[in-house]
Formats: sequence, C-alpha cells, structure tokens
Amino acid sequence: MKVEGQPAFVLHSQPYKETSLLLECLSRDYGRVALVARGARRPRAEIRGQVLPFVPLVLDWFGKSELRTLARVEWLGGVPQLSGLPLLSGFYLNELLLRLLARDDPHEAVFTAYQQAIIGLACGELGAVSLVLRRFELALLTGLGYAPNLSHQAGGVIPIEPEQQYCFIAGHGAEPLPLVLPVDIPETGYQCLVSGTTLLALAHDQLQQRWVVQEAKILLRTLLDAVLGAVPLASRRVLHAVHEPRTRVWPVMPA
Amino acid sequence: MNTPMSLAQLVSALRVLPGVGPKSALRMAYHLLQHDRSGAAQLAHALQHALDHLGHCQRCHTFSESPLCDICLDTSRDPQRLCIVEMPVDLLRLEESRCFNGFYFVLMGRLSPLDGIGPQELQLDRLQQRALDGVVQEVILATNYTAEGEATAHVISEMLRGHGLTVSRIARGMPVGGELEFTDPGTLAQAFYERRHLASS
Repeated sequence: MKVEGQPAFVLHSQPYKETSLLLECLSRDYGRVALVARGARRPRAEIRGQVLPFVPLVLDWFGKSELRTLARVEWLGGVPQLSGLPLLSGFYLNELLLRLLARDDPHEAVFTAYQQAIIGLACGELGAVSLVLRRFELALLTGLGYAPNLSHQAGGVIPIEPEQQYCFIAGHGAEPLPLVLPVDIPETGYQCLVSGTTLLALAHDQLQQRWVVQEAKILLRTLLDAVLGAVPLASRRVLHAVHEPRTRVWPVMPA
Repeated sequence: MNTPMSLAQLVSALRVLPGVGPKSALRMAYHLLQHDRSGAAQLAHALQHALDHLGHCQRCHTFSESPLCDICLDTSRDPQRLCIVEMPVDLLRLEESRCFNGFYFVLMGRLSPLDGIGPQELQLDRLQQRALDGVVQEVILATNYTAEGEATAHVISEMLRGHGLTVSRIARGMPVGGELEFTDPGTLAQAFYERRHLASS
C-alpha cells in the first residue's frame, strides 16, 4: 500500500540497522505509524535535517507490514525548533501519544490538537506552556473516548455549580462534597478534589487564574493516570527534576 | 544435532553488541571459529585487555588508561573553560577542529526523556562538581543538535544557573562554505530563525 501527501509529525526516532532511522510518527489519517527512513544516518543524508520531532511534515510511505518504508519527506516548516521548557513539554506530549495511541488507529481530532499544541509551544509565551498542555490533555482524553463530563455532575442531570466543591472520580464523574455515601463508584482509586469554577473554566476553555490552572492540572493528571495505569511517565519525571526545585535530584552547592 | 555448548555461549555473547541478532551472531561465530581463529584470539585478548586496563578519567570521564587522561594532564590548556560533549567521539572531532583549548567533560550519553534517561541516569551531579570547582568560568555546551541533545543542554544550563558561571551553547545554522541552494530546508529554516544581528539604523 502506498500513502502519499500525509501530514505528520515525528514523535520519536531511534537508530535502525547501520544507516537507517526507525521513526514513530503521528499522521492525520493513519494515526501512529512506524516508518523506516533508509539511509537517514549517512553523514550527508539530506533527510536527517528534516525528520525531526516537533516539526510539521508531509510524508509518503509504502509497505504492507506494520513497519513501512518512508519514501519522501516534505518540510512544511513555519515552526522554530523547540528549546528549553517547551522542548521538555514536547517530549511529554510525545510520550502521552506513544503510550495511549495504538498503531494504525487514526484520530484526526488528536492530530489537530497536537498540531496546535506544537505551534503553541514553539511560538507562544513561556507562561502559556501549561495552558497549551492542559488543552492538549483534554483534547487527547476526548479523542480517545475518555472525555470527562465537566458541565454536569455524575449522572449527567444536575449542572455543576461554580461555588460548589466536588470530588472528581475517574470513570465516574463529579460528586458534590460532602460525599453522600454510598455512591456507586468504580474502585479505580483515581480521584481528586476540584472546584466547580475549575470544572466550568475547563469546559469553556477559559483557564485564567493561577489556582484554577493548578486545579485543572491536578484533575487532568488524575484522569490521565487512570488511563495510563501504573507505569509512570518518564518525561514527567525529567520535567519535575528540572523545573520543580523541591524535587531536584542534584544537591544545591554553594555558589 | 545439538549445538555444542561453547558455540552456543559464543553466539549468545556476541548478541550483546548493538544491532546484532541471532543470525548475525551465528555468522560471526562461524567466521571467527572456522576462518579466522587468530583474529578470534586477538579479539578475545583485546577485549580482556580493554576491560582490565580501560577506565574513566576522574576529571572528564572519557575513556582513559590512567586516572587522568592526556588532555586533563595538559597544563598548557585554559582551565577556565569547560566544554561538555555527549560522547568521546565528539571530543575527538572538537580536538580535530582545533577550535578549543580548554578542558572537556564527557557525559557518555544524553538525556532522553522518552527512553527514561533523566538527570539521575546521566549522573549530572558529577558534572556539577567538576563545573563548580572554583576555577571554571565558562561552560560551553557542545551536545548534539538533536531534540535529545537540546534537552540535555537545557537541563545542564538550568543546573548551573545562579552559580556565577557563563554558560554558552555552540551555534547552529548554515554549514561553513554552505550554499543556500544545496542546504536542506530544516537547517536553512533554523539558520533563518537564529539569524544574527549585524547593524541597526
């Protein structure tokens, strides 16, 4: 089967045989695909400067097996290379996709959300990184069919009130506090406290106040953890080690 | 017929090499034992010798047969500048380019968040001790311009922030003697984004 002109991003690349690269790509119409870029590691291979992560590309490939062969790369560009915190955040997005998307399972909405997130990371302000991540996390959960109901309580009848505090239970929904037990709750163990203001702000894509952004982060992390299972994300660990001083792994030495 | 024990052991030992699967390992083993027995003995001896005598330099962490490597022992070098590279081969390339007269630190890898290689696995605390010895004034990050190399440079620059050091990164852009006509779009685009300011009105 030959595929031509497919918008895609490289998520991860690793050396393959003597001179090739094995690329994990996210394509718009074919989902996650594994491609071999033949000769991409030769010293003067032109393709090497193109099959980079976090860059919009158009790819052609062929092949019948799970591992296809990359035939052509077109550089769409328009996005500078990521660096610093946006780069580490980009790795986080890629790890989420590698962990949660099966191969050859297309999700056009997830592709569009990823494209917007990369543009946001590359061209946006540094302070907006967490908003970009939250938006993508919600779009990914929605695209995969795990969309949380953010406007109504569990059961889908009673609307969320901004002044009310809730316990959000993954796979179940928001329950108002104090909890009236017994509630028919799946025993996932993934739950967190969240205010109605945050749930509604997330539903309407209006995350503004600092505490709302922080609550949304915890909520989305809880929901993602429920889908990801027990194995923690490696990129999240690196992000924490670098950008959250309390958990830094290196000792602080006197200057 | 069962494979003799020693042949099976050799095949499985050869498979530790990167990119060598069962078939390649068997081919290598047959070749060594049938066609090049002296070469096989030489290989065994060289491996054992390297294992016994080769370690890491205490200061720059590159491969060395003595506690300090030749470069670290060279007193004519500038001790105020420290260049950080991923692998010993990168150090050799920089030495060939004759552009740097300071000392090196070899990471022996790169940060790769997707493969679970973080600051701890790279043992960056050792680099921190080396860079903060009180003599080094400038740290030059010469990690690769791949996404992983960039991430490594970022993490090291964050680690060394606030210690009174100058931290710089080797430049990225058009190759020397490069013509726009023959430059790949990725390189050209990034050279454009990172263009230098020459004059203002």
